[in-house]
Amino acid sequence: MEQANITPNVKPPRWKPSFRLSGNMALITGITMGLLAAVVQGYFGLQPPAGDGICGISHPANLVNWLVNNIFGTKFTIHSIFVTVPVLTSVGFIIGSFIAAVKNKEFKLRRGPVRDNVLAFILGFLIINFGLLWGSCPIRTAILSSYGMFFAILMLGMIVLGVVVACLYIKWKVRRAQ
Amino acid sequence: MTGIFAWKIGLATMVIGMIVGYLGQRSRFCTISGIRDFFLVKDSYRLKGLIGIVIGGVIGFALVNKLGGTLSSFTKPGGWQFMPMLKDGLNVTPSILIPLSAVGAFFMAYFSVMAEGCPFRQHVMAGEGRLSGIIYITGLVLGVVFFDVVIVPYLQLLTLRFPT
Repeated sequence: MEQANITPNVKPPRWKPSFRLSGNMALITGITMGLLAAVVQGYFGLQPPAGDGICGISHPANLVNWLVNNIFGTKFTIHSIFVTVPVLTSVGFIIGSFIAAVKNKEFKLRRGPVRDNVLAFILGFLIINFGLLWGSCPIRTAILSSYGMFFAILMLGMIVLGVVVACLYIKWKVRRAQ
Repeated sequence: MTGIFAWKIGLATMVIGMIVGYLGQRSRFCTISGIRDFFLVKDSYRLKGLIGIVIGGVIGFALVNKLGGTLSSFTKPGGWQFMPMLKDGLNVTPSILIPLSAVGAFFMAYFSVMAEGCPFRQHVMAGEGRLSGIIYITGLVLGVVFFDVVIVPYLQLLTLRFPT
């Protein structure tokens, strides 16, 4: 008896981009940030100032100042490129993160790493004030460094120094508590 | 600059923010935690993100410059006039600007370690539904107003005292 040649009609799986946490996901995110900052400056005219594609300090500040200026008629300073239109990067960060969290069933209202709410508020308040003295967050400092700005490389060094001193303080505090 | 061109920039920043926010949530990207983790436990996963920005930026700016995109002052070494803190009407001499910026960068990093994340990471945590991230953003918004109302007048006094 001849056996029927049964070959299941299996289609090869369709390729999908994977956003799972892998060893190089942070590296890929960083490279994407650098590339997008270059593209938005070079082709969408997001300048001056230079290297202002992504920032967690100056962009929220510009957005707040734009809103306050338009609502209350004040004259708070805004980067010249964002005078007529609000910069929505920080809103995009929150929406993008919200979409990713909901899509991957990770969205949940819960306490964050800073347990004390008052402390979280004070830290946000202090960080934006010191950050605005320098004028950019670590991401934009790295972008400006890649843009060839020597001064930004120095400030990246100051950021590393700030983190190291904070870590040493935490270590000292832990040792003291033991 | 008005009209469609201005809104093109606004829309571009929104789309870029969403892409980066999505990737940031998936990768747990954080610049400050990257340096912290490497210093404390020799974990280089997040530090690669910070290095990735520099790599991506170098490649991206070089390509855009080569392909005819407009990059202001790209070929010139970074002059003082392109420094981030310099907003409209705030032109202090470098001898004042450098220490001010250094103090700002240092304490921003120091307090970011205490907040367990850089400003970008706090935005991402707010989007994930973390309460401390949401409260941090509230503090950040009020901090901007405080900076404009209280700090900027003092900085403008410096501008008058030490002009470039």
